[in-house]
Amino acid sequence: MKYLYLYTYYLLLPMENGPVTIVEEKGVTHKNPIVIEGLPDVGLVGTIAASYIVDKMDYAKLGYIESELFPPIMVIHEGKLISPFRIYGNEDVVVVLSEIAIPPDAVYPLTTALTDWFSNIGARLVISVSGLPMKNRIDIEKPEVFAIGNNDAAMKKLEDKQMELLQEGFIAGTYAVMLRQCMKRGLSAVSLLAQCFPVYPDPGAAASAIEALDKFINLGIDVGELMGREEEIKLKARDLMRETALSAPEMQKGVEQDMPIMYR
Amino acid sequence: MSIERRIIKATWGYNGDLEPLSELEDLGDAILVTFDLPRVKKEDVEINLTEDTVELIAKMSESVCWEKWGSIQKRLTFQTFQKQIRLPELINQKEASASFKNGILRVVMPKQREKVLIRID
Repeated sequence: MKYLYLYTYYLLLPMENGPVTIVEEKGVTHKNPIVIEGLPDVGLVGTIAASYIVDKMDYAKLGYIESELFPPIMVIHEGKLISPFRIYGNEDVVVVLSEIAIPPDAVYPLTTALTDWFSNIGARLVISVSGLPMKNRIDIEKPEVFAIGNNDAAMKKLEDKQMELLQEGFIAGTYAVMLRQCMKRGLSAVSLLAQCFPVYPDPGAAASAIEALDKFINLGIDVGELMGREEEIKLKARDLMRETALSAPEMQKGVEQDMPIMYR
Repeated sequence: MSIERRIIKATWGYNGDLEPLSELEDLGDAILVTFDLPRVKKEDVEINLTEDTVELIAKMSESVCWEKWGSIQKRLTFQTFQKQIRLPELINQKEASASFKNGILRVVMPKQREKVLIRID
């Protein structure tokens, strides 16, 4: 089956989604996995959470994503070249993460290619982990997590898990497009948004997001180590945060602070 | 940001300085600048203000070392955050205030501004 997916992607993606290719390196038979998407956004909540989950669960690298729309950057880790956009997981879980900021021009082709792939591997739920920028974050001891669902099934799931829903407002950026692309393909998707610093890496928000994620996927991960390494993570994530913040205006992130027009 | 600019504008120096993440916000009557300063204690922060600049020097309680990193810089240790920001408007340094909580430094600087109330005819 895996070879069928690869074949399909190499044939169809350049035509349908532009130059974004999902490359599966490892032969995993997906069993309706839950997808966790942790791409760079406000507070790097998704990136920090996804990296910590991959590390703690010791997930294998399943593949990577390549595109001419991505910056010409490769990561060197322990002397080996790896792509900055990678996919980890096992038969039941898929984690998508990136070590570089998503160029605004790549958001639509990337989310289209990813959601096509999620659909083909029979994903039962796509969970985007991200942040909700708060001006008064410094005064918030324990960040709360809010949720958005893209269809009735997703909303039902959020209600069952007693998640607090984001009732009114705008959402912008990669996860906003991801929700819509999933909706077009009939995929259930939710976004978990932890209150966070807008332009500073926020391991505290990532810890709250992981705890909320646990309601859906029972990873049983202790976030104590994440909080213990908070300062080290902030130092390491400095440059990615800076790059992500630079692309925020083009991602229309400012609109998330706007009041929606209230009429029925 | 272009690749050329990224190469020229590194966010660290060979002298052991790291550039902290910072944010500038116009509050109307004042300018707010915040800095993210992990591994820094309040007593190790120095802020110097002029009419149109804010300069920060902050010593880390524990230095950070990156090893086997990049092609030229094999091993570098950083122990200080340093950054100077040019402000968009003149400020009143003497009325500025600062606070430090959980590694975030906030500096509030009132703008130099004379208000004149005008009547509507």
